[in-house]
Amino acid sequence: MTDVGRHPRIKLYTLSEVVGIKGYVGNFEVKILKRARYVDEKECTSCGECAKVCPVVRPDEFNLGLSSRKAIYSPFPQAVPAAYVINVNECLGHNPVVCAKCVEACDKKCINFHMSDQEILEEVGSIVVATGLEAYDPRELDEYGYTRFENVLTSLEFERLVNAGGPTRGELIRPKDRKKPRSVGFVQCVGSRSARKGASYCSNICCMNTIKSTLVLKEHDPDLEIKVFYIDIRAFGKGFEDLYARSRRLGVHYLRGLPGTVEETPEGSLRVAVENTATGKLEIHHLDMLVLALGVKPAPSTQRLQEMLGLQLTPDGFFLEAHPKLLPVDAATRGVFYAGCAEGPKDIKESVTQASAAAARAIRLMHRGEITTEPITSEVVAEHCKSCGKCAEVCPYNAITVDVKKKTPAVVNQAACAGCGTCAAECRFGAIIMNHFTDGQITGQIEAMLEENPSEKILTFACNWCSYAGADYAGVSRLQYPSNVRLIRTMCSGRVDEKFIWHGFRKGAPVILVSGCHIGDCHYIDANHWTEKRVARLHKRMEKMGLRPERLQLAWISAAEGVRFAQVMKDMEALRRSVTREEIQETIRILEEAKKG
Amino acid sequence: MERIDLDAADPGFAEALASQPGGERIAACFMCRTCVASCPISAVDRRFHPLRIIRLALYGLKQEVLASDFIWLCSSCYACQERCPQGVKISDFMTLLKNLAVKEGHVPRGIRAQLDLIREHGRIYPIDDFDNKKRNKAGLPSLPTSCDVVAKLA
Repeated sequence: MTDVGRHPRIKLYTLSEVVGIKGYVGNFEVKILKRARYVDEKECTSCGECAKVCPVVRPDEFNLGLSSRKAIYSPFPQAVPAAYVINVNECLGHNPVVCAKCVEACDKKCINFHMSDQEILEEVGSIVVATGLEAYDPRELDEYGYTRFENVLTSLEFERLVNAGGPTRGELIRPKDRKKPRSVGFVQCVGSRSARKGASYCSNICCMNTIKSTLVLKEHDPDLEIKVFYIDIRAFGKGFEDLYARSRRLGVHYLRGLPGTVEETPEGSLRVAVENTATGKLEIHHLDMLVLALGVKPAPSTQRLQEMLGLQLTPDGFFLEAHPKLLPVDAATRGVFYAGCAEGPKDIKESVTQASAAAARAIRLMHRGEITTEPITSEVVAEHCKSCGKCAEVCPYNAITVDVKKKTPAVVNQAACAGCGTCAAECRFGAIIMNHFTDGQITGQIEAMLEENPSEKILTFACNWCSYAGADYAGVSRLQYPSNVRLIRTMCSGRVDEKFIWHGFRKGAPVILVSGCHIGDCHYIDANHWTEKRVARLHKRMEKMGLRPERLQLAWISAAEGVRFAQVMKDMEALRRSVTREEIQETIRILEEAKKG
Repeated sequence: MERIDLDAADPGFAEALASQPGGERIAACFMCRTCVASCPISAVDRRFHPLRIIRLALYGLKQEVLASDFIWLCSSCYACQERCPQGVKISDFMTLLKNLAVKEGHVPRGIRAQLDLIREHGRIYPIDDFDNKKRNKAGLPSLPTSCDVVAKLA
């Protein structure tokens, strides 16, 4: 942290918040709200004279309320920048009649109450999201009695208690009577691996944190009785199992089974009821102190940042990476990277690894000063554009800007456009050209495929990343599927325009299949949501026109689902057989009439 | 150690239970034993052990589960269900097992006696003139001594 503060080419904004992000890869404009510190951070030497005279005493957040601080304070000893800060909401004010004691005490005159919040604009090329985590709040797990018993602590509070720089200078005492505990218990998975309270995922760090804590305690006092209540100890990293073995060798008891009830005795100790798997018996453990190993939650800022940057979240609430194995630090939006617990619960080593990777990925992207993009991007024909704003609404990358009020034509940012084609499919005025997948190219393919014996063909639209690859996989796996399937590849199922479907039916197609990646797996963030909506719209329209809606099918087929691809095609063939020549003729007649009308 | 005879197991039992209300998530149990440690009955009577019942059911030991009297010991306090991290509806599951046990004809004598009382009098605790006298003294209205409606239903 100190190194970051000193680095000549790193600008560090503390007490600051990102309030807005505009732009695209290489050209982000970030609006930052820098809150007033009321202390000149360059002049302040952290001598601490101001805090000595400050009359306001408040609980210290860094020590989780286990000690106190003043209204002018340094958050913690290693804080960067090494300058004091005033919490104005607690400060009595700078009016000399009221207080202003700190102003008098400061020899260097660096306290300035006239500072105000600043709005700063920064232009950056890439963004690393490293917003960290929040600890689980154990108050809802009433059986552990965190709100009722003083000697039940969270792992964070415990950490401050045994820390040499903490409120007790590393002396372990229990909060209720400040006596040294003779026995300490740890409860694992508090707020993790739970379908009902807390999160369903494993928080990844709590097992090793507890093991580390037991080692610290045994170092303090080898005679201390330590019990760890767990479901599974997950010591999966390099050197982790060693640490676990060492902890057990030192006499720490690991008991498989989570406590059901915790009660307090008149002396302030705790009665913990646990069913021990090893003995198969319900055991009552008397402990002087109980520590809850808290799980990890996404940072509270995650949602707002996600909206600002147009990112995606996993169901857990953490940021979703562009690819779980091959692009683990990239966001789906180009120029945005993740580091640390913003992407998922992880320990220090993994966070450092990921941060290094994110930095390297950002440098790799930025150092040339220009980027190579696919030529598959969309283009707006300004004279056809009615500035309705639909394209900007559907673009998953926010690559299209259009001023609906001023009626200026839409503009596509070629660097931000990823080429899904959803805009072109949704544009009702034909004002968007999708390069390399133009309307003409696709209708040409439809016509060619339905030129001879159209009633025997199965017209299929397949997206490049999933369904087309799924078809490939079916082929490579030598799976049998009807040979009358005709595939048209688009980059994304979002490209499949309504008019392609009507054109297909008009040219005598008995059935049409639109296929793409599963919902949530779309390679263009969420473009296939629009496919789904569009097909639903088409079904309604077909019903109104008197056409059988099941003749248009939608199927999600992933690249690994060769078997599913073959099955879907067999189903389509069965469906095709149910369509008679008369029905096709009738369809063509209805559609031609509708076109004229 | 008790021996488990898996040959006597009914492999479809767990699946049949999972498809009924109360049994939906029994397979999710990861044996953290929070249920047993929370159970007021287990604390006094070791015959009742929610986790053991779930395990027996998952193994498909139908007879062992339904014919036993331990499923009838559950007091339906819902402490286990409230605390189960995997969302297993343990109390509801006990109710499901009790219903199945009755269907299969396994009803303990005590429960049978209670059922007979309800069938005959409409109440487990019959009210007589003595009770009504006491109620009147306390300023409470008399209750009918027989519940014909319930008897008709039964």
